[in-house]
Amino acid sequence: MGKIIAATGNTSAALGAALSGVQVVSAYPITPQSSVVEYLAKMIADGALPARMVQVESEHSAMSVVQGAVAAGARAFTATSAQGLALMYEPYFRMSTLRLPMVMAIAGREMTSPEGVWGGQQDSISVRDAGWIQYYAENNQEILDTVIQGYKVAENNDVLLPVNVCYDGFFLSHLYERIELPEQSEVDAFIPKYNPVHYAFDPAKPMALDPMTPGDILMEYRESHLQAMQNALGIIEQTDKEFEKAFGRSYGGLVEEYRCEDADIILVTMGSMTGTAREAIDAKREEGIKAGLLKIRVMRPFPVEKVRNVLSERKAFAVVDRNVCFGWNTGALYMEVKAALGGLGKRISSIPVIGGLGGADITQEHFMQCIDLLEEAGKSQVEHKTVWLKKEGIV
Amino acid sequence: MRERKYITPVGDEGIYVLDTASWRNFRPVINKDKCTNCGICSSYCPVNSIYKEGKEIGISMKYCKGCGVCANECPKKAIDMISEGGEI
Amino acid sequence: MNYIDKLLQSEDLVSPGISACQGCGAELILRTALKIMGKDTAVVIPPGCMAGAGAVGWNFDNGLKVPVHISLLDNTAAFMTGVKTMYELSGKDTKVVGIAGDGATSDCGFQSLSGAAERGEDLIYICYDNEGYMNTGFQRSGTTSKGSSTSTTPVGKVIKGKEQNKKDLPMIMADHDIAYTATLSPAYMQDFVRKLEKAVSMKGGFRYLHIYSPCPTGWGTAPECSIDIARKAVQTNFFPLYEVENHKYTINIEIKNPQPVSELIKQMGKFRHLAEEDIQEMQKMVDKKYNKLKALAAMSQDN
Repeated sequence: MGKIIAATGNTSAALGAALSGVQVVSAYPITPQSSVVEYLAKMIADGALPARMVQVESEHSAMSVVQGAVAAGARAFTATSAQGLALMYEPYFRMSTLRLPMVMAIAGREMTSPEGVWGGQQDSISVRDAGWIQYYAENNQEILDTVIQGYKVAENNDVLLPVNVCYDGFFLSHLYERIELPEQSEVDAFIPKYNPVHYAFDPAKPMALDPMTPGDILMEYRESHLQAMQNALGIIEQTDKEFEKAFGRSYGGLVEEYRCEDADIILVTMGSMTGTAREAIDAKREEGIKAGLLKIRVMRPFPVEKVRNVLSERKAFAVVDRNVCFGWNTGALYMEVKAALGGLGKRISSIPVIGGLGGADITQEHFMQCIDLLEEAGKSQVEHKTVWLKKEGIV
Repeated sequence: MRERKYITPVGDEGIYVLDTASWRNFRPVINKDKCTNCGICSSYCPVNSIYKEGKEIGISMKYCKGCGVCANECPKKAIDMISEGGEI
Repeated sequence: MNYIDKLLQSEDLVSPGISACQGCGAELILRTALKIMGKDTAVVIPPGCMAGAGAVGWNFDNGLKVPVHISLLDNTAAFMTGVKTMYELSGKDTKVVGIAGDGATSDCGFQSLSGAAERGEDLIYICYDNEGYMNTGFQRSGTTSKGSSTSTTPVGKVIKGKEQNKKDLPMIMADHDIAYTATLSPAYMQDFVRKLEKAVSMKGGFRYLHIYSPCPTGWGTAPECSIDIARKAVQTNFFPLYEVENHKYTINIEIKNPQPVSELIKQMGKFRHLAEEDIQEMQKMVDKKYNKLKALAAMSQDN
């Protein structure tokens, strides 16, 4: 059993990175992630972490600096939120398409406008198709553990893709929870040293990193990238199992099922709201309602098979999104779950739910009302209109 | 067949080389009577086509684009730009 | 060994055939700079003329005999920082050199450049100033001279060329108090080589080299006149050669009887439309800037 401490989500992310032996960290402040890089800055200033921190002048440079470092063979880390993520989009897209592994923490924050700094998933959702692996954490222990798992997945030779560990801003970033710190030696044993097989920017091997590339060759690279994402599905599962063996904690791999065995109706959640949803499921079960919870832990690559396996034999499911999909009148996760199930050719009642935007609360009462709606929906086959979780209740 | 998974070629497998000699309309020719082998032309050649062999300056035609900078800069006006004789 | 023999005997680390225009100032700058840098160098080149010409490679081939990466247009100095940081951590001495056009340096890349300079990163940053975004079709940049005809500041009935002054990048970079700032002209090769060698020999600190790079195609000048133009730019005090180190400004080549700026611009198609009063205004600006430089140099003597 490792040391027990009380730590915020941001501190947990920082500790995860420190334990993973990161060598280069780029730091730029933005609410609500600033204390991630502040914590690492203090560790480095105290000599507790033998890494180099580069205090850059914008998030665009934050991603560019780690891009250069990883290209030269480093294990690197940075953190950002909303506007910072948007600003770094140019080198962010390049990080995955150059196949440079790293872990970046995203303390999820609503994208401006309207102006706000509070929690939401819109930022990481907006960049879900930039080729990164994206995990969503439910609590601070999971943040720390997922950063460590993230490096192992990212640097696997069949993956070689960067990883986002996303967690809801303020709800987790600033919340103190009980954390168990793994021992440094255990983490060292779990993640081997980064040994790039594809390239390192080195005069001994004078290669051009990313020459001008025409379409027919570009397509080969994209095919290989898509294949790597598919490989990641299995490797994410396997890494979580290995983590359980080494540290005694598991998160179910790609998804986690909670009380789904005999459930007719399922709540699908992602992120910190999952904790509240568990409470609601338990409360409804007390009343004899056969409700279950499907927690989506990994959004990219999308766990199509897992989602199908869990949802295909149910009467109804609701997807609670802490984000919107502007093109559809639903949240983004709802759309993707529907797409995964589309291949089954079955009609299962579904309810798109949007709530908790901009740091608004998703309460247990909200979930109870969702489960009530699901019970109704389960009686027939209906594509329910979008439900909004407002302060006064479900609308 | 080289593995083509990642966006990187290896420099020692190949340098991209264009046949820039085919661009020329004029070629530089050194007038050996005037040339003092000072080498100033070599420092100004954008394609690095001017070399020194022993004490003598020479101009390689392999990549010369015929820009004429060498002829223009020669302090002794010892380089003439001679037409390649192509059809217009 | 004199600079000519040095250059003759140094290995050209660029592919012998790249698609730079005939008489391209930047191609000469690229080749000469890399001759001085040597093989233990990693190069970062943003999109622009040199990247487009093939220096960053095509398909699976490299364009240089050293590692090169085409950075984004706006993050060259930041990418360089990351690479150098990791080299230092791994105990490598490899130089990290950026060779960027004025568009990448003075406009969108200025933020990352300023950040790297402020942090005093151990890097050599070379800006080849051909006064515009030449590779994409001669659009104006922050360092385009006032009055220039470019594709985004064309000469029309109402507006005649760029209406704003040339951004004084080397002065701005010197004000970052970096280890070394210098202006270079390919026409003054001895000074050029000396300054490059100086930048290479420095251990640590940010070195910024701003190099005047004639562009025949974009400026409407004859290819064979590129070096002549680079010389006139210095002789008219339009582009004075100076260096700044430890707050000391030194004018390297003092022109005893500077030529009027009209001697420089009369050769250039991009200034063909200038009226007499525009040329006089340009002369005033050139004189003002040079006087400021002289004052800074005099002040440096006293300290």
